[in-house]
Amino acid sequence: MKQILLIAWREYKQYVLSRGFLIFLVMFPLGLAGLTAAMGFAERSKPTRVFVVYDETGQYADEIDREIERRHALSTLNAWNIYLAAYTPAEAAEALPAPFAPDGVSDARVKAIEEAGGYAAGEAAIADILRPGAPPFTAPRGQFERVAGPAELAAASSVEDAESILRPYLLEERGVVRADGEAAPLFAAVLIPQGFGVSNETVEDAPSAQYWSRNLTDTALEDLVGNALDAALKREAAEAMGLPRAALDDVAAIAAPFEAYRPDREAEEAQLDTQDRVETLMPAALTYMLLVIIFGVGNLLLTNTIEERSNKIVEILLSSVTAGQLMMGKLIGIAAVGLTMPAIFLFGGLAGSVALGAGGASFLGPVFAALFSSPLLLIYLFYFFCAYAIFAMIFLAIGAVSNSLQDAQSYMGPVMLLVFAPLPFMIMVFENPNGFIASLLTWIPIYTPYAVMMRAAADPPLWEIVGATALMLAFAIVLVRFLGRIFRNAILQSSPPKAREVWRLARRDAA
Amino acid sequence: MTDLPVQLENVTKRYGAFTAVNDLSFAVKQGEIYGFLGPNGAGKTTTLRMLLDIVQPTRGRISVLGSNSAISVRRRIGYLPEERGLYRKMKAADSIAYFARLRGLSGAAAKKRAHALLEEFGLGEFARAKNEALSKGMAQKVQLLATIAHEPELLILDEPFSGLDPINQQTLEQLIADQRAGGRTIIFSTHVMQHAERLCDRFLIIAKGEKRFEGTLSEARAGFGRHIHVRSSAPAAAFEALSGVLSVRLERGGDESDYDVELSENADPQDFLHQAIAAGLVLTRFEQAGATLHDIFVALAGDEALAPHEGARAEAAE
Repeated sequence: MKQILLIAWREYKQYVLSRGFLIFLVMFPLGLAGLTAAMGFAERSKPTRVFVVYDETGQYADEIDREIERRHALSTLNAWNIYLAAYTPAEAAEALPAPFAPDGVSDARVKAIEEAGGYAAGEAAIADILRPGAPPFTAPRGQFERVAGPAELAAASSVEDAESILRPYLLEERGVVRADGEAAPLFAAVLIPQGFGVSNETVEDAPSAQYWSRNLTDTALEDLVGNALDAALKREAAEAMGLPRAALDDVAAIAAPFEAYRPDREAEEAQLDTQDRVETLMPAALTYMLLVIIFGVGNLLLTNTIEERSNKIVEILLSSVTAGQLMMGKLIGIAAVGLTMPAIFLFGGLAGSVALGAGGASFLGPVFAALFSSPLLLIYLFYFFCAYAIFAMIFLAIGAVSNSLQDAQSYMGPVMLLVFAPLPFMIMVFENPNGFIASLLTWIPIYTPYAVMMRAAADPPLWEIVGATALMLAFAIVLVRFLGRIFRNAILQSSPPKAREVWRLARRDAA
Repeated sequence: MTDLPVQLENVTKRYGAFTAVNDLSFAVKQGEIYGFLGPNGAGKTTTLRMLLDIVQPTRGRISVLGSNSAISVRRRIGYLPEERGLYRKMKAADSIAYFARLRGLSGAAAKKRAHALLEEFGLGEFARAKNEALSKGMAQKVQLLATIAHEPELLILDEPFSGLDPINQQTLEQLIADQRAGGRTIIFSTHVMQHAERLCDRFLIIAKGEKRFEGTLSEARAGFGRHIHVRSSAPAAAFEALSGVLSVRLERGGDESDYDVELSENADPQDFLHQAIAAGLVLTRFEQAGATLHDIFVALAGDEALAPHEGARAEAAE
């Protein structure tokens, strides 16, 4: 065993303590932090987009302004939640009066905050629990500003006329003036023709409102204007039907109380929560991770076995350990390499969730609860290692019959096909874990681990799982012996065997 | 400790229809240097791998350090294969320590020993250098040191001189002699006769997977006719006519020719000299010579040495 661990440690050290891996370890969180910072910076530094509304009906510009204000209020509330998570202790924040305590972002909460005195009142409420050195709360900058536009627009007689007046501004040949007197480029123009609306006609027959912008990728304003006009027309329609305009807002704010339950639990525990959702997604995540690890470490096993073979190190090793110990040491060492990265992410996430306090815990808490409290975790680990052993042995055997990566290529194509073949079917197993495809894949030994991992949470028939697992284990034992013989017999051959000789190497104990 | 650290009895190794080693038996005595001689592809490497239990014999019995399998005593064995390498990215001292640890030394002891050996063999300053940065000669030294770092009782060296420059060959000869002086048993295979002649107490000649000879150099010589080198203006036929002469071979022609005269096993060279004088033959050179190991090797494995292709199949199959 000591020898196996020595070999495993050498393999592990070779990759994990390599300069490249350590650089990656340092660079990854830095890169992630840098990316987050860059995204935040990009968002903050995005200039306020200035636009013009030419409204022949005179009704809709205000609707658009209202939607801009509404969205700004929601993003301010979101910023408040983040501010609380970053600068107040979680428990103390939870104890704040209702609209100020961390909660979901909604129009109702925005209204409640206004009624409770706005964010100034909120800041007063958290003054005692604020962490030392915390900056004051600042609302995010507005993203959009509607301006009156050029003076000549007032003289426009039609939408076409307005468009031709605005075109040089939209092409940034000329600038418009913002409310604070600063000049700015015109980001977009909204042209609303006479007759737009639902007053006396059906909406389909009414002329279209037009959105003009040179920027085709940033569609935030386009979406906002579309939503604002939708809401306005719905309100008009409601009014035409005899309802007050405000009634539609009340109707739109209605969210049906809706809860999901699972029948395999007692009534009081049956309601689905975030942890349940995470548990459902975990098999798919682990299957994906398994594929990534198999692919990643498979290549490591391959290159490193080829190195030992072509550098003639293997015979010295085999005079010190058996071929079986060598194989086992390599499998353990490289498996540890494969698991190091997910482990680092896992513990990094854990550290991150602790550092982020309530905000992080609300997001990552259910993930860790699902990972560490689920009885399924051991099952996943068992199948994870079975699948790893099966595929890693295949890579080892390929390494043993190849003197170079070029030699290995001829075997790698079919193996990769084999590894990734179940991927298209996995979505079917995920959606219908006890269907025909799921059953079929369960009984194919090399795919049993994938299929069982995907099905484990869906209570598949026990006999099927036990039977397929027994078949898989028997297959794994035969495969390991078969490939082990190829490894032992081929690894000492001075020239790599031809593909047709590989079968012969496995059949007889040629060593 | 056994008196016969290595014993093979009727060992055969077949690869399919091809027999790499056929019914081979020999024994190595404690503390001796045992030469394992044969042309390329004669079955030397296969035999050594069987000794180490890296490959299993088809038939026969092998005993190494009193055990039926070298696996259980591998910590007491040092093995230097013919084709050897090092991990390119590993440091020299780490390489020696790694192989010593695989053979049973503790981490601290292996490290200490690795540095001490590198110092002793003049590579102290390269202890922390990666193997890929070492010259070929240095890397070969590191491989050798990795073989002896765990202080094995039995050293098995497969073609240890191949690829070594003359300085390293000398270092290796000295190392082998020192190891023997330390009481270790050493088996080494080679097809370079000079090394075997200088170092071996006993040797075995193998060809086509079969034993052709086992014993000391003087025992080998005893089995061959004595040779006399003479220079004379007389024709070869004049010497062939003398009693006790097996053959006369012209080495160099001219007014006076050099001949290699082979006498029968019981013939006395002095008697040959008397007969030549009595026959009126004038000799300007008369020199007695025993058969060299090279002569013996060529005589015993000559056909193999000249046509190694058959044996090379075994090497390829190994």
